[in-house]
Amino acid sequence: MRHSLASRWLSLVVLASLSCALVGWLAARSFAQDKPRSGGELIFVVPSEPPSYDAHREETFGVIHPLAPHYNTLLRTDPFDRTGTKPVGDLAESWTVSKDGRTYTFKIRKGVKFHDGSELTAKDVKASYDKIVFPPQGVASDRQGQYTNVEAVQALDPNTVVFRLKFPQGSFLSSVASPWNWIYKADILAKDPRWYETHVMGTGPFTFVEHVKGSHWVGKKNPNYWDKGKPYLDGYRAIFVKDSAAQVAAVRGDRAHIQFRGFSPAERDSLVQALGPKITVQESPWDCVLLVALNHEKKPFDDKRVRRALTLALDRYQGSQALSKIAIVKEVAGVVVPGTPFATPPAELEKLAGYSRDIAKSRAEAKRLLKEAGVPDGFSFTFKNRGIPMPYEPVGVWLIDQWRQIGVNVRQEVVEAAAYYGQVLRPGNYEAAMDFQCGYIVEPDLDVYKFQSKEISPANYSRYTDKTLDDLFTKQSRAQDAEERKKFIRDFEKRLLDDEAHYLYTLQWHRIIPHSARVKGWTITPSHYLNNQLDTVWLTQ
Amino acid sequence: MTKYVVKRLLLMIPTLVGVAVLVFFLMRVVPGDVVELRFAGESSFASKENLDKERARLGLDKPLWKQFVDWMGGIARLDFGVSMWTGAPIIEEIRLRFALSLQLAIMSTLIAVLLAIPLGVLAALKQDTWVDYAVRIFSIAGLATPSFWLGIVFILMLLIVFKWLPPMVYTPFWVNPVQNLAQLIWPALAVGYRYSAVAMRMTRSAMLEVLREDYIRTARAKGLWEKLILSRHALKNAMLPVLTVIALEFAFLMGGLVVTEQVFNLNGLGLLFVESVAHRDYTLTQALVLLVAAVFIFVNFLVELAYAWIDPRIKFR
Repeated sequence: MRHSLASRWLSLVVLASLSCALVGWLAARSFAQDKPRSGGELIFVVPSEPPSYDAHREETFGVIHPLAPHYNTLLRTDPFDRTGTKPVGDLAESWTVSKDGRTYTFKIRKGVKFHDGSELTAKDVKASYDKIVFPPQGVASDRQGQYTNVEAVQALDPNTVVFRLKFPQGSFLSSVASPWNWIYKADILAKDPRWYETHVMGTGPFTFVEHVKGSHWVGKKNPNYWDKGKPYLDGYRAIFVKDSAAQVAAVRGDRAHIQFRGFSPAERDSLVQALGPKITVQESPWDCVLLVALNHEKKPFDDKRVRRALTLALDRYQGSQALSKIAIVKEVAGVVVPGTPFATPPAELEKLAGYSRDIAKSRAEAKRLLKEAGVPDGFSFTFKNRGIPMPYEPVGVWLIDQWRQIGVNVRQEVVEAAAYYGQVLRPGNYEAAMDFQCGYIVEPDLDVYKFQSKEISPANYSRYTDKTLDDLFTKQSRAQDAEERKKFIRDFEKRLLDDEAHYLYTLQWHRIIPHSARVKGWTITPSHYLNNQLDTVWLTQ
Repeated sequence: MTKYVVKRLLLMIPTLVGVAVLVFFLMRVVPGDVVELRFAGESSFASKENLDKERARLGLDKPLWKQFVDWMGGIARLDFGVSMWTGAPIIEEIRLRFALSLQLAIMSTLIAVLLAIPLGVLAALKQDTWVDYAVRIFSIAGLATPSFWLGIVFILMLLIVFKWLPPMVYTPFWVNPVQNLAQLIWPALAVGYRYSAVAMRMTRSAMLEVLREDYIRTARAKGLWEKLILSRHALKNAMLPVLTVIALEFAFLMGGLVVTEQVFNLNGLGLLFVESVAHRDYTLTQALVLLVAAVFIFVNFLVELAYAWIDPRIKFR
């Protein structure tokens, strides 16, 4: 009996010990899996290619994805923040803002070296920003317009750089975290400001190895990187693949780990079905949206009742359900990316024209407005759309169907993508046309800049003048207090989308990144321009 | 013969000039320009001054005739200029892709010839038997199947059955032959099959025609060995139209494999061509059109020279 009790007791002890050991082993294993591991080459697919190597002058993510790992910026967005809105120091160790909000002083890290071994100083930061903000003769700076508020950039000493603004700007830190503002070497810029169009020389976590045009780009670990212990990868290889089916095949066939721009829902599903646990899917609202520009210079679109009727006709919630299955659109949103600090909460959004969940009531109101504006039943117009299948085509078809519900007949004319801006939007050669907005940082200043009056914003394709809207833009931009800024953004949004219905928002794009489960340390954000430095990325065994 | 060759070579010049004039002005008719596409497009901040500055840098602000004269002057010095999109020398852009396109064209042609000639001859010899029907079905299927579709089928088969995908980056044959062939054999098979179908049907009909000629009957009557009759008398004479088809297809492959290159992600001239047009990269498009025209003209010239070798009755004056 005693023997039996003792053996039972012993069995229990052994079992408990084994369980503890198992749990401990599993925990250790999981900890080991979460702990960054050094080594390996990340292979990713890039659906575009850099026209030149100079981010200060280019527009395409085809520059950012393969080249960003060679550079640092003054600030960057927190690589682990899914909203992509938190600026953290990159080359700047710390910063202060003067009381009047017009002077930003950045302390530059010591011991940062360019890939040629020379030391980075405030002089390099100043030279880079001078090139962006005050480009010399013959040098193009694509984002000069974003920094019209900058009065001067000064290098006070080797580790201090000061930005003096003409007026306070709530978004200035975000602007400095722009993924395009790579810090170049001052001496090189002084000799040839266009040198960086064809060469690479940064301070980033990876050094340049080779670029074979049309084929691939290779970078290898910078052993002297200032952030000790990083990067984790031995190197990376970006393969340029234009065809989306070939991109999917590359991930599926283990020829690439990831594509950082995004896949369609169908492509995600096919990868998940084929690879099961070997694939991880990250999704996020995307800071891109298709808009309908209503040409105020053409009748009857000069009448806000007609414009309001067209937005009231849209059942965005039903559209979201249907379109998100087949296209890269999903969220019903206002002017700011949902889920980010300045976004309008859904309950408040529903109060705007065209955002109510009672679609029957909205459409009845739309019909009433059209009648009041003297627009006859069966009114027809031509809607010009850009010749890009995803997501222009499905969204265009959806819009036409929605407008038909209020008795408006719309003929769609698809114009070749390359000729669209030059032949349709810029000359104002349309009644209604699909427009596009995509942000490289999640920041209201960038997202709503284009909606200012046509005299200010050359990208205002609804072609209106609205001083009230311009005033609201300025107020939100200069507001130092976040709550105050939110209020101005709400007012701006209400005037743009509801009171005046200058523009029609369709649905927010939805970013889907299915990637090899081996890829760790990379967090999706709402912008495919962000988080491409790769210093935090690592590969499991 | 030498006089003929020199005359034909000199005649290529006005043809190429004609092509150059045509492509230069056609490109200017197409709406949109490279500056608009690269810097304005979707940007909220593109100012007219910046766009004008960039147009001036690329010489697009000059009168059309001046642009044309400058370009032709460059060509006369064999200077094709730089790509308006990337800023890289055009010779460099083309050189990077030329090796792959040439190798793929040669491999596809070899596959096509190896399939087409034996099967075409066999079908002619076994006319109206099951062998002939089988070959005809095989060739009609080849004609009806777009090579890019066959390429997709190959990729899916490799992915699903073998869990393997051909390499996506080109490795020159002399660097790593295995890697090179692992990438190019699949597109070469896809393209070669369709290409062989055209040549196969031509071989069959040409052989049928030749086999009915008096000189074949005479050779047989003389008791000549059948294999000798076929190879020396029939096949050689039947080769004239087949050679023309093969040569034209070869020239087409040097810039016309756009979709197949997309499917297999090949960094070839076809994709470069499409991208240069999409980017309104005038200088690159013009150079590529000239290159493809030159390849067509030169291949035709070689075919004509080959005629004399195959058929001694043909004399050049």
